Amino acid sequence: MLKAIFYKEWLKLRLFWCLAILVHIGLIAYLLLSLRSTLLASGIVETWATMIGRDVLMVNQLMYLPLITGVCIALCQWLPEMQIKRIRLTLHLPIDYTASIGAMLFCSIVCLCLLFAIDATVLAVVEQQWLPRELVWRTFLTCLPWYIGGLLGYSVTSWCVLEPQWRMRCVNFLIGAPLVALCFLTAQPACYIPMFPWLVLALLATVCLPFYSVYRFKLGKQ
Amino acid sequence: MKNIQSSISNLKYLIIVLGLIVLAWLLPVLYELLSPRTDRMPFVVYSCLDSTFIKFETSNKQVRFIDFRGQEFTKAQADSLLPLFSFRQLVAEGRLPDSLYGVALTPKLIQQNAFHFKTSPKQLNKPAVGLYTMLESSSGRVDLQLPPDVFRLTDDGLEFIDCETNTVNRAKSLSFSRELTKHGFTFPVQLIWGNGTTRKDYDNGFLLTDANDRLYQLKMVKGTPWVREIIVDRQSSNPKWIQVFTLEPANRALIGFVVDDAYQLYAVRANGQLAHIGIDAYNPQEMQISIVGDLFHWTITEYTATDSRYYAVDARTFEQVACAIVPDPERPLNQRIERILLPVRLRFTSWRTQLIAPNINDD
Repeated sequence: MLKAIFYKEWLKLRLFWCLAILVHIGLIAYLLLSLRSTLLASGIVETWATMIGRDVLMVNQLMYLPLITGVCIALCQWLPEMQIKRIRLTLHLPIDYTASIGAMLFCSIVCLCLLFAIDATVLAVVEQQWLPRELVWRTFLTCLPWYIGGLLGYSVTSWCVLEPQWRMRCVNFLIGAPLVALCFLTAQPACYIPMFPWLVLALLATVCLPFYSVYRFKLGKQ
Repeated sequence: MKNIQSSISNLKYLIIVLGLIVLAWLLPVLYELLSPRTDRMPFVVYSCLDSTFIKFETSNKQVRFIDFRGQEFTKAQADSLLPLFSFRQLVAEGRLPDSLYGVALTPKLIQQNAFHFKTSPKQLNKPAVGLYTMLESSSGRVDLQLPPDVFRLTDDGLEFIDCETNTVNRAKSLSFSRELTKHGFTFPVQLIWGNGTTRKDYDNGFLLTDANDRLYQLKMVKGTPWVREIIVDRQSSNPKWIQVFTLEPANRALIGFVVDDAYQLYAVRANGQLAHIGIDAYNPQEMQISIVGDLFHWTITEYTATDSRYYAVDARTFEQVACAIVPDPERPLNQRIERILLPVRLRFTSWRTQLIAPNINDD
Protein backbone atom coordinates (compact mmCIF):
# COMPACT_ATOMS: atom_id res chain seq x y z
CA MET A 1 0.00 0.00 0.00
CA LEU A 2 2.81 2.39 0.93
CA LYS A 3 4.49 1.61 -2.39
CA ALA A 4 1.28 2.65 -4.16
CA ILE A 5 1.19 5.90 -2.16
CA PHE A 6 4.81 6.67 -3.10
CA TYR A 7 3.97 5.94 -6.76
CA LYS A 8 0.92 8.21 -6.59
CA GLU A 9 3.06 11.01 -5.12
CA TRP A 10 5.62 10.49 -7.85
CA LEU A 11 2.93 10.79 -10.56
CA LYS A 12 1.51 13.89 -8.87
CA LEU A 13 4.76 15.74 -8.25
CA ARG A 14 7.26 14.48 -10.85
CA LEU A 15 6.89 17.52 -13.10
CA PHE A 16 7.31 19.86 -10.20
CA TRP A 17 10.37 17.98 -8.92
CA CYS A 18 12.00 18.15 -12.36
CA LEU A 19 11.32 21.88 -12.47
CA ALA A 20 12.70 22.35 -8.93
CA ILE A 21 15.90 20.43 -9.79
CA LEU A 22 16.35 22.56 -12.91
CA VAL A 23 15.84 25.83 -11.00
CA HIS A 24 18.16 24.78 -8.18
CA ILE A 25 20.94 23.54 -10.46
CA GLY A 26 20.46 26.66 -12.59
CA LEU A 27 20.85 29.00 -9.63
CA ILE A 28 23.83 27.08 -8.22
CA ALA A 29 25.47 27.17 -11.67
CA TYR A 30 24.79 30.92 -11.85
CA LEU A 31 26.31 31.49 -8.39
CA LEU A 32 29.40 29.46 -9.27
CA LEU A 33 29.81 31.17 -12.63
CA SER A 34 29.49 34.61 -11.05
CA LEU A 35 32.05 33.63 -8.39
CA ARG A 36 34.39 32.42 -11.15
CA SER A 37 33.93 35.62 -13.13
CA THR A 38 34.65 37.70 -9.98
CA LEU A 39 37.80 35.65 -9.35
CA LEU A 40 38.92 36.23 -12.93
CA ALA A 41 37.89 39.88 -13.17
CA SER A 42 38.95 41.16 -9.73
CA GLY A 43 41.79 38.72 -9.13
CA ILE A 44 41.92 35.74 -6.80
CA VAL A 45 43.94 37.57 -4.12
CA GLU A 46 41.53 40.51 -4.03
CA THR A 47 38.45 38.27 -4.00
CA TRP A 48 39.81 36.17 -1.13
CA ALA A 49 40.73 39.35 0.75
CA THR A 50 37.18 40.70 0.29
CA MET A 51 35.61 37.42 1.37
CA ILE A 52 37.83 37.27 4.48
CA GLY A 53 37.94 40.95 5.42
CA ARG A 54 34.39 42.00 4.59
CA ASP A 55 32.55 38.78 5.34
CA VAL A 56 31.16 38.41 1.83
CA LEU A 57 30.32 34.94 0.51
CA MET A 58 28.48 35.67 -2.76
CA VAL A 59 25.65 33.18 -2.13
CA ASN A 60 22.97 35.60 -0.92
CA GLN A 61 20.81 35.03 -4.03
CA LEU A 62 20.26 31.49 -2.79
CA MET A 63 18.65 32.69 0.45
CA TYR A 64 14.93 32.29 -0.30
CA LEU A 65 15.07 29.57 -2.98
CA PRO A 66 14.79 26.60 -0.54
CA LEU A 67 11.82 28.31 1.13
CA ILE A 68 10.07 28.93 -2.20
CA THR A 69 10.70 25.31 -3.19
CA GLY A 70 9.39 23.95 0.12
CA VAL A 71 6.24 26.08 0.00
CA CYS A 72 5.57 25.24 -3.68
CA ILE A 73 6.02 21.50 -3.08
CA ALA A 74 3.56 21.62 -0.19
CA LEU A 75 1.01 23.57 -2.26
CA CYS A 76 1.37 21.21 -5.25
CA GLN A 77 1.08 18.18 -2.99
CA TRP A 78 -1.84 19.17 -0.76
CA LEU A 79 -3.94 21.74 -2.64
CA PRO A 80 -5.32 19.14 -5.15
CA GLU A 81 -6.09 16.85 -2.19
CA MET A 82 -8.01 19.57 -0.35
CA GLN A 83 -9.74 21.31 -3.27
CA ILE A 84 -12.32 18.64 -3.97
CA LYS A 85 -11.70 16.80 -0.70
CA ARG A 86 -9.83 14.03 -2.53
CA ILE A 87 -7.99 13.44 0.70
CA ARG A 88 -11.09 11.55 1.88
CA LEU A 89 -10.12 8.76 -0.54
CA THR A 90 -6.68 8.56 1.03
CA LEU A 91 -8.20 8.50 4.50
CA HIS A 92 -10.44 5.59 3.49
CA LEU A 93 -7.55 3.40 2.40
CA PRO A 94 -7.15 0.20 4.40
CA ILE A 95 -4.21 1.61 6.36
CA ASP A 96 -4.17 4.08 9.19
CA TYR A 97 -4.24 7.71 8.09
CA THR A 98 -1.07 8.43 10.10
CA ALA A 99 0.76 5.90 7.91
CA SER A 100 -0.62 7.22 4.60
CA ILE A 101 -0.17 10.95 5.43
CA GLY A 102 3.18 10.14 7.06
CA ALA A 103 4.31 8.37 3.87
CA MET A 104 3.29 11.39 1.77
CA LEU A 105 5.10 13.82 4.08
CA PHE A 106 8.12 11.52 4.28
CA CYS A 107 8.29 11.34 0.50
CA SER A 108 8.47 15.08 0.05
CA ILE A 109 10.80 15.73 3.01
CA VAL A 110 13.28 13.12 1.78
CA CYS A 111 13.13 14.55 -1.76
CA LEU A 112 13.62 18.09 -0.42
CA CYS A 113 16.60 16.93 1.67
CA LEU A 114 18.07 15.21 -1.41
CA LEU A 115 17.59 18.33 -3.50
CA PHE A 116 19.22 20.53 -0.83
CA ALA A 117 22.04 18.00 -0.43
CA ILE A 118 22.68 18.11 -4.19
CA ASP A 119 22.79 21.94 -3.99
CA ALA A 120 25.21 21.99 -1.09
CA THR A 121 27.41 19.24 -2.53
CA VAL A 122 27.74 20.85 -5.97
CA LEU A 123 28.44 24.22 -4.33
CA ALA A 124 31.07 22.76 -1.98
CA VAL A 125 32.79 20.51 -4.54
CA VAL A 126 33.18 23.30 -7.11
CA GLU A 127 34.00 26.04 -4.57
CA GLN A 128 36.80 24.01 -3.01
CA GLN A 129 38.68 24.17 -6.33
CA TRP A 130 38.94 27.95 -5.91
CA LEU A 131 38.53 28.68 -2.20
CA PRO A 132 40.18 27.46 1.02
CA ARG A 133 38.21 24.98 3.12
CA GLU A 134 37.38 27.65 5.74
CA LEU A 135 35.41 29.70 3.20
CA VAL A 136 33.70 26.59 1.78
CA TRP A 137 32.64 25.49 5.28
CA ARG A 138 31.51 29.03 6.08
CA THR A 139 29.38 29.04 2.93
CA PHE A 140 27.76 25.78 4.03
CA LEU A 141 27.07 27.12 7.55
CA THR A 142 25.55 30.26 6.02
CA CYS A 143 23.26 28.29 3.67
CA LEU A 144 22.22 25.65 6.24
CA PRO A 145 19.55 27.81 8.01
CA TRP A 146 18.07 28.66 4.60
CA TYR A 147 17.73 24.93 3.84
CA ILE A 148 16.17 24.31 7.26
CA GLY A 149 13.88 27.24 6.40
CA GLY A 150 12.88 25.37 3.22
CA LEU A 151 11.92 22.27 5.23
CA LEU A 152 10.08 24.41 7.80
CA GLY A 153 8.30 26.20 4.94
CA TYR A 154 7.17 22.82 3.60
CA SER A 155 5.86 21.50 6.92
CA VAL A 156 4.16 24.79 7.92
CA THR A 157 2.49 25.10 4.49
CA SER A 158 1.34 21.46 4.69
CA TRP A 159 -0.06 22.14 8.17
CA CYS A 160 -1.98 25.19 6.93
CA VAL A 161 -3.27 23.64 3.70
CA LEU A 162 -4.44 20.41 5.36
CA GLU A 163 -6.34 22.34 8.05
CA PRO A 164 -10.08 22.06 7.20
CA GLN A 165 -11.21 25.34 8.85
CA TRP A 166 -10.23 28.78 7.49
CA ARG A 167 -10.19 30.31 10.99
CA MET A 168 -7.67 27.74 12.24
CA ARG A 169 -5.76 27.97 8.98
CA CYS A 170 -5.14 31.67 9.75
CA VAL A 171 -4.05 30.82 13.31
CA ASN A 172 -1.71 28.13 11.96
CA PHE A 173 -0.24 30.64 9.51
CA LEU A 174 0.26 33.25 12.24
CA ILE A 175 2.18 30.70 14.34
CA GLY A 176 4.01 28.99 11.47
CA ALA A 177 5.18 32.00 9.46
CA PRO A 178 7.28 33.49 12.31
CA LEU A 179 8.85 30.06 12.90
CA VAL A 180 9.92 30.02 9.25
CA ALA A 181 11.11 33.64 9.53
CA LEU A 182 13.47 32.52 12.32
CA CYS A 183 15.72 31.05 9.62
CA PHE A 184 16.08 34.36 7.81
CA LEU A 185 16.94 36.85 10.58
CA THR A 186 20.36 37.67 9.15
CA ALA A 187 22.45 36.95 6.08
CA GLN A 188 25.68 37.42 8.07
CA PRO A 189 27.93 34.41 7.44
CA ALA A 190 27.86 31.52 9.91
CA CYS A 191 25.87 33.44 12.54
CA TYR A 192 23.31 30.65 13.07
CA ILE A 193 25.66 28.12 14.72
CA PRO A 194 24.12 28.35 18.25
CA MET A 195 20.63 28.35 16.72
CA PHE A 196 20.86 25.04 14.82
CA PRO A 197 19.56 22.78 17.64
CA TRP A 198 16.57 25.12 18.14
CA LEU A 199 15.80 25.18 14.41
CA VAL A 200 15.94 21.37 14.28
CA LEU A 201 13.56 21.26 17.28
CA ALA A 202 11.20 23.68 15.52
CA LEU A 203 11.39 21.50 12.41
CA LEU A 204 10.60 18.31 14.34
CA ALA A 205 7.68 20.06 16.03
CA THR A 206 6.17 21.44 12.81
CA VAL A 207 6.57 18.14 10.93
CA CYS A 208 4.08 16.60 13.41
CA LEU A 209 1.49 19.34 12.93
CA PRO A 210 -0.01 18.26 9.56
CA PHE A 211 -1.20 15.08 11.37
CA TYR A 212 -3.23 17.27 13.71
CA SER A 213 -4.85 19.04 10.74
CA VAL A 214 -5.80 15.67 9.20
CA TYR A 215 -7.06 14.49 12.61
CA ARG A 216 -9.35 17.52 12.70
CA PHE A 217 -10.46 16.79 9.12
CA LYS A 218 -11.35 13.25 10.17
CA LEU A 219 -13.32 14.64 13.11
CA GLY A 220 -15.44 16.44 10.52
CA LYS A 221 -14.35 20.04 11.26
CA GLN A 222 -15.46 22.23 8.39
CA MET B 1 -3.63 2.66 17.56
CA LYS B 2 -5.53 4.46 20.28
CA ASN B 3 -2.20 5.68 21.65
CA ILE B 4 -1.35 7.30 18.31
CA GLN B 5 -4.81 8.90 18.14
CA SER B 6 -4.48 10.37 21.62
CA SER B 7 -0.92 11.57 20.87
CA ILE B 8 -2.20 13.34 17.79
CA SER B 9 -5.06 14.93 19.69
CA ASN B 10 -2.46 16.14 22.21
CA LEU B 11 -0.65 18.02 19.44
CA LYS B 12 -2.96 20.95 20.28
CA TYR B 13 -0.74 21.54 23.34
CA LEU B 14 2.32 21.70 21.06
CA ILE B 15 0.50 24.32 18.96
CA ILE B 16 -0.26 26.32 22.13
CA VAL B 17 3.42 26.15 23.20
CA LEU B 18 4.61 27.24 19.75
CA GLY B 19 2.03 30.04 19.80
CA LEU B 20 3.30 31.27 23.18
CA ILE B 21 6.91 31.22 21.94
CA VAL B 22 5.92 33.24 18.87
CA LEU B 23 4.00 35.73 21.06
CA ALA B 24 6.95 36.10 23.47
CA TRP B 25 9.12 36.95 20.47
CA LEU B 26 6.82 39.10 18.32
CA LEU B 27 4.92 41.15 20.91
CA PRO B 28 8.08 42.95 22.18
CA VAL B 29 9.10 43.54 18.54
CA LEU B 30 5.68 45.09 17.80
CA TYR B 31 5.81 47.12 21.02
CA GLU B 32 9.22 48.49 20.04
CA LEU B 33 7.96 49.41 16.60
CA LEU B 34 5.09 51.37 18.17
CA SER B 35 7.28 53.10 20.79
CA PRO B 36 10.80 53.31 19.36
CA ARG B 37 13.72 53.89 21.73
CA THR B 38 15.33 57.28 21.28
CA ASP B 39 18.22 57.06 23.76
CA ARG B 40 21.37 58.21 21.99
CA MET B 41 24.83 58.18 23.55
CA PRO B 42 26.42 61.66 23.57
CA PHE B 43 29.92 62.10 22.17
CA VAL B 44 32.31 63.19 24.94
CA VAL B 45 35.83 64.69 24.72
CA TYR B 46 38.14 65.79 27.54
CA SER B 47 39.12 69.45 27.44
CA CYS B 48 42.68 69.87 28.65
CA LEU B 49 42.16 73.62 28.96
CA ASP B 50 39.10 73.41 31.18
CA SER B 51 40.05 70.07 32.85
CA THR B 52 36.56 68.72 32.28
CA PHE B 53 34.63 66.56 29.87
CA ILE B 54 32.54 68.30 27.23
CA LYS B 55 29.67 66.38 25.72
CA PHE B 56 28.12 66.94 22.33
CA GLU B 57 24.40 66.43 22.81
CA THR B 58 22.19 66.24 19.77
CA SER B 59 18.54 67.14 20.21
CA ASN B 60 16.15 68.36 17.49
CA LYS B 61 19.05 68.32 15.01
CA GLN B 62 20.87 70.93 17.14
CA VAL B 63 24.20 70.13 18.79
CA ARG B 64 24.63 71.47 22.34
CA PHE B 65 28.03 71.60 24.05
CA ILE B 66 27.72 71.03 27.78
CA ASP B 67 30.37 70.19 30.35
CA PHE B 68 29.78 67.77 33.21
CA ARG B 69 29.20 70.68 35.61
CA GLY B 70 26.19 71.67 33.52
CA GLN B 71 27.69 74.73 31.89
CA GLU B 72 26.66 75.20 28.27
CA PHE B 73 28.98 76.62 25.60
CA THR B 74 28.52 78.08 22.17
CA LYS B 75 30.12 76.26 19.25
CA ALA B 76 32.94 78.82 19.11
CA GLN B 77 33.59 78.47 22.85
CA ALA B 78 33.63 74.67 22.55
CA ASP B 79 36.13 74.94 19.68
CA SER B 80 38.39 77.07 21.88
CA LEU B 81 38.11 74.63 24.78
CA LEU B 82 38.96 71.70 22.52
CA PRO B 83 41.79 73.14 20.39
CA LEU B 84 43.20 69.74 19.44
CA PHE B 85 39.80 68.32 18.51
CA SER B 86 38.63 71.40 16.55
CA PHE B 87 42.00 72.44 15.17
CA ARG B 88 40.81 72.64 11.56
CA GLN B 89 38.13 75.17 12.50
CA LEU B 90 40.59 77.14 14.65
CA VAL B 91 43.18 77.16 11.84
CA ALA B 92 40.51 78.43 9.43
CA GLU B 93 39.61 81.19 11.87
CA GLY B 94 43.25 81.92 12.72
CA ARG B 95 42.59 81.05 16.37
CA LEU B 96 44.83 77.98 16.85
CA PRO B 97 47.14 78.64 19.83
CA ASP B 98 50.84 78.81 18.95
CA SER B 99 51.73 76.41 21.72
CA LEU B 100 50.15 74.39 24.48
CA TYR B 101 51.94 73.05 27.57
CA GLY B 102 55.20 74.25 26.01
CA VAL B 103 54.67 72.31 22.79
CA ALA B 104 54.53 74.30 19.55
CA LEU B 105 51.29 73.35 17.81
CA THR B 106 51.15 72.69 14.10
CA PRO B 107 48.23 71.11 12.25
CA LYS B 108 50.55 68.28 11.13
CA LEU B 109 51.64 67.51 14.69
CA ILE B 110 48.04 67.55 15.94
CA GLN B 111 46.85 65.34 13.09
CA GLN B 112 49.68 62.84 13.56
CA ASN B 113 48.86 62.40 17.23
CA ALA B 114 45.12 62.05 16.80
CA PHE B 115 43.55 58.62 16.63
CA HIS B 116 40.20 57.00 17.25
CA PHE B 117 39.75 53.42 18.37
CA LYS B 118 36.29 51.98 18.83
CA THR B 119 34.95 48.50 19.37
CA SER B 120 31.93 46.77 20.87
CA PRO B 121 31.01 43.27 22.09
CA LYS B 122 28.95 42.82 18.92
CA GLN B 123 32.00 43.47 16.74
CA LEU B 124 34.09 40.98 18.71
CA ASN B 125 31.53 38.22 19.17
CA LYS B 126 31.15 36.90 15.68
CA PRO B 127 32.29 33.67 14.07
CA ALA B 128 35.88 34.11 12.92
CA VAL B 129 36.80 33.15 9.36
CA GLY B 130 40.03 31.56 10.57
CA LEU B 131 42.07 33.04 7.71
CA TYR B 132 44.41 36.02 8.04
CA THR B 133 46.32 38.27 5.66
CA MET B 134 49.97 38.91 6.47
CA LEU B 135 50.93 42.15 4.74
CA GLU B 136 54.51 43.03 3.86
CA SER B 137 55.48 45.61 6.53
CA SER B 138 58.62 46.84 4.85
CA SER B 139 58.13 46.74 1.11
CA GLY B 140 59.83 50.07 0.53
CA ARG B 141 56.66 51.31 -1.19
CA VAL B 142 54.31 53.91 0.24
CA ASP B 143 51.17 51.87 -0.49
CA LEU B 144 50.60 48.53 1.13
CA GLN B 145 49.97 45.59 -1.21
CA LEU B 146 47.89 42.47 -0.67
CA PRO B 147 50.14 39.41 -0.36
CA PRO B 148 49.67 36.43 -2.73
CA ASP B 149 48.66 34.21 0.20
CA VAL B 150 46.64 34.02 3.41
CA PHE B 151 47.38 31.95 6.48
CA ARG B 152 45.43 29.74 8.87
CA LEU B 153 46.28 28.63 12.39
CA THR B 154 46.95 24.97 13.06
CA ASP B 155 47.75 23.15 16.29
CA ASP B 156 51.47 23.27 15.57
CA GLY B 157 52.05 26.37 13.49
CA LEU B 158 50.87 28.73 10.80
CA GLU B 159 49.88 27.43 7.37
CA PHE B 160 50.17 29.76 4.38
CA ILE B 161 47.82 29.05 1.47
CA ASP B 162 48.72 30.35 -1.95
CA CYS B 163 45.65 32.09 -3.41
CA GLU B 164 46.39 31.28 -7.06
CA THR B 165 46.85 27.53 -6.57
CA ASN B 166 44.81 27.08 -3.36
CA THR B 167 47.63 24.92 -1.99
CA VAL B 168 49.75 25.16 1.16
CA ASN B 169 53.09 26.94 0.83
CA ARG B 170 55.09 24.57 3.04
CA ALA B 171 58.36 26.51 2.95
CA LYS B 172 56.78 29.78 4.10
CA SER B 173 54.59 28.03 6.69
CA LEU B 174 57.63 26.30 8.15
CA SER B 175 59.72 29.46 8.14
CA PHE B 176 57.10 31.48 10.10
CA SER B 177 56.27 28.66 12.52
CA ARG B 178 59.98 28.01 13.21
CA GLU B 179 60.71 31.68 13.79
CA LEU B 180 57.92 31.86 16.37
CA THR B 181 59.11 28.67 18.08
CA LYS B 182 62.67 30.05 18.13
CA HIS B 183 61.36 32.97 20.19
CA GLY B 184 59.80 30.63 22.74
CA PHE B 185 56.29 30.61 21.26
CA THR B 186 54.24 27.54 22.19
CA PHE B 187 51.56 26.58 19.69
CA PRO B 188 48.59 26.61 19.30
CA VAL B 189 47.82 30.32 19.00
CA GLN B 190 45.23 31.40 21.57
CA LEU B 191 44.38 34.96 20.50
CA ILE B 192 45.31 36.82 17.34
CA TRP B 193 44.49 40.22 15.92
CA GLY B 194 45.73 42.03 12.85
CA ASN B 195 44.29 44.59 10.47
CA GLY B 196 44.39 42.91 7.07
CA THR B 197 43.34 46.02 5.18
CA THR B 198 45.72 47.88 2.88
CA ARG B 199 43.92 51.15 3.62
CA LYS B 200 46.39 52.26 6.27
CA ASP B 201 49.73 54.05 6.32
CA TYR B 202 51.86 51.16 7.54
CA ASP B 203 51.51 47.69 9.04
CA ASN B 204 52.12 46.54 12.60
CA GLY B 205 51.43 42.90 11.76
CA PHE B 206 49.73 40.74 14.37
CA LEU B 207 49.59 40.61 18.13
CA LEU B 208 49.14 37.01 19.24
CA THR B 209 49.27 34.95 22.40
CA ASP B 210 50.59 31.42 22.77
CA ALA B 211 49.46 28.38 24.76
CA ASN B 212 51.28 29.77 27.84
CA ASP B 213 49.63 33.20 27.52
CA ARG B 214 52.81 34.88 26.38
CA LEU B 215 52.28 37.87 24.13
CA TYR B 216 54.08 38.29 20.78
CA GLN B 217 54.16 40.57 17.79
CA LEU B 218 54.56 38.94 14.39
CA LYS B 219 54.99 40.67 11.07
CA MET B 220 56.54 40.05 7.68
CA VAL B 221 59.60 42.11 6.83
CA LYS B 222 60.94 41.71 3.30
CA GLY B 223 59.22 38.35 2.95
CA THR B 224 60.69 36.90 6.14
CA PRO B 225 59.10 36.52 9.60
CA TRP B 226 59.83 39.13 12.27
CA VAL B 227 58.92 38.14 15.82
CA ARG B 228 59.15 39.99 19.12
CA GLU B 229 57.96 38.91 22.54
CA ILE B 230 56.13 41.62 24.44
CA ILE B 231 57.63 41.39 27.92
CA VAL B 232 55.28 41.88 30.85
CA ASP B 233 57.18 43.99 33.36
CA ARG B 234 55.33 42.92 36.48
CA GLN B 235 56.20 41.13 39.70
CA SER B 236 53.08 39.01 39.56
CA SER B 237 52.69 35.91 37.43
CA ASN B 238 52.10 36.16 33.71
CA PRO B 239 48.57 37.51 33.17
CA LYS B 240 46.05 35.59 31.14
CA TRP B 241 45.11 37.63 28.12
CA ILE B 242 41.49 37.68 27.03
CA GLN B 243 41.64 40.13 24.13
CA VAL B 244 44.26 41.69 21.86
CA PHE B 245 43.88 44.52 19.34
CA THR B 246 46.46 45.72 16.81
CA LEU B 247 46.54 49.37 15.81
CA GLU B 248 48.37 51.52 13.30
CA PRO B 249 48.10 55.11 14.65
CA ALA B 250 49.67 57.85 12.54
CA ASN B 251 52.34 58.75 15.14
CA ARG B 252 53.56 55.12 15.21
CA ALA B 253 53.77 55.22 19.01
CA LEU B 254 51.56 52.17 19.61
CA ILE B 255 51.26 48.61 18.38
CA GLY B 256 47.95 47.88 20.02
CA PHE B 257 45.95 47.18 23.15
CA VAL B 258 45.65 44.05 25.26
CA VAL B 259 43.22 43.12 28.03
CA ASP B 260 43.95 40.65 30.83
CA ASP B 261 41.51 38.45 32.74
CA ALA B 262 41.32 41.07 35.52
CA TYR B 263 39.85 43.34 32.82
CA GLN B 264 42.84 45.67 32.91
CA LEU B 265 43.63 47.47 29.67
CA TYR B 266 47.24 47.84 28.51
CA ALA B 267 48.80 49.72 25.64
CA VAL B 268 51.59 48.00 23.73
CA ARG B 269 54.12 50.71 22.91
CA ALA B 270 56.07 50.69 19.64
CA ASN B 271 59.22 49.69 21.55
CA GLY B 272 57.46 46.52 22.70
CA GLN B 273 56.82 47.68 26.28
CA LEU B 274 53.51 47.17 27.96
CA ALA B 275 51.91 50.12 29.80
CA HIS B 276 48.87 49.90 32.03
CA ILE B 277 46.14 52.37 31.09
CA GLY B 278 44.66 54.07 34.14
CA ILE B 279 41.03 53.08 33.84
CA ASP B 280 39.12 50.92 36.29
CA ALA B 281 38.11 47.95 34.16
CA TYR B 282 37.30 47.08 30.60
CA ASN B 283 35.41 43.91 29.83
CA PRO B 284 35.42 43.53 26.04
CA GLN B 285 32.53 41.03 26.19
CA GLU B 286 30.23 43.43 28.03
CA MET B 287 31.36 46.98 27.26
CA GLN B 288 31.52 49.18 24.24
CA ILE B 289 34.72 51.28 24.24
CA SER B 290 35.82 54.35 22.36
CA ILE B 291 39.27 55.96 22.68
CA VAL B 292 39.73 59.42 21.20
CA GLY B 293 43.41 60.27 21.42
CA ASP B 294 45.17 63.59 20.94
CA LEU B 295 48.62 65.01 21.60
CA PHE B 296 48.16 65.32 25.36
CA HIS B 297 45.23 63.20 26.48
CA TRP B 298 43.08 60.27 25.56
CA THR B 299 39.35 60.37 26.23
CA ILE B 300 38.21 56.83 26.96
CA THR B 301 34.48 56.17 26.98
CA GLU B 302 32.99 52.89 28.14
CA TYR B 303 29.33 52.07 27.77
CA THR B 304 28.24 49.34 30.16
CA ALA B 305 24.79 47.85 30.74
CA THR B 306 24.16 50.25 33.64
CA ASP B 307 26.30 53.37 33.14
CA SER B 308 28.65 55.35 30.91
CA ARG B 309 32.22 55.81 32.15
CA TYR B 310 34.42 58.62 30.94
CA TYR B 311 38.15 58.71 31.61
CA ALA B 312 40.87 61.11 30.57
CA VAL B 313 44.37 59.66 30.64
CA ASP B 314 47.73 61.25 29.94
CA ALA B 315 48.78 60.37 26.38
CA ARG B 316 52.37 59.62 27.46
CA THR B 317 52.11 57.98 30.87
CA PHE B 318 48.53 56.65 30.51
CA GLU B 319 47.83 57.76 34.09
CA GLN B 320 44.28 58.78 34.88
CA VAL B 321 43.73 62.53 34.80
CA ALA B 322 39.96 62.69 35.20
CA CYS B 323 37.07 60.29 35.56
CA ALA B 324 33.29 60.60 35.49
CA ILE B 325 30.79 57.78 35.87
CA VAL B 326 27.32 58.68 34.69
CA PRO B 327 24.58 56.17 35.61
CA ASP B 328 22.13 55.51 32.82
CA PRO B 329 18.96 57.57 33.18
CA GLU B 330 15.91 55.81 34.58
CA ARG B 331 14.17 53.75 31.93
CA PRO B 332 11.53 55.76 30.08
CA LEU B 333 7.87 55.07 30.87
CA ASN B 334 7.27 53.07 27.70
CA GLN B 335 10.06 50.63 28.58
CA ARG B 336 8.77 50.24 32.15
CA ILE B 337 5.29 49.55 30.80
CA GLU B 338 6.78 47.01 28.36
CA ARG B 339 8.40 45.13 31.26
CA ILE B 340 5.09 44.94 33.12
CA LEU B 341 2.96 44.05 30.10
CA LEU B 342 5.44 41.59 28.65
CA PRO B 343 7.24 39.84 31.50
CA VAL B 344 8.84 37.29 29.13
CA ARG B 345 10.59 38.87 26.19
CA LEU B 346 12.26 36.48 23.77
CA ARG B 347 14.91 37.78 21.38
CA PHE B 348 17.11 36.06 18.86
CA THR B 349 19.47 38.97 18.25
CA SER B 350 21.52 40.70 20.91
CA TRP B 351 23.63 43.82 21.42
CA ARG B 352 26.40 41.51 22.69
CA THR B 353 26.86 39.29 19.67
CA GLN B 354 26.18 38.85 15.97
CA LEU B 355 25.28 35.22 16.60
CA ILE B 356 21.61 34.30 16.44
CA ALA B 357 20.50 32.55 19.63
CA PRO B 358 17.45 32.67 21.91
CA ASN B 359 17.78 35.13 24.81
CA ILE B 360 15.12 35.76 27.42
CA ASN B 361 14.72 39.26 28.90
CA ASP B 362 18.09 40.40 27.51
CA ASP B 363 17.26 44.11 27.02
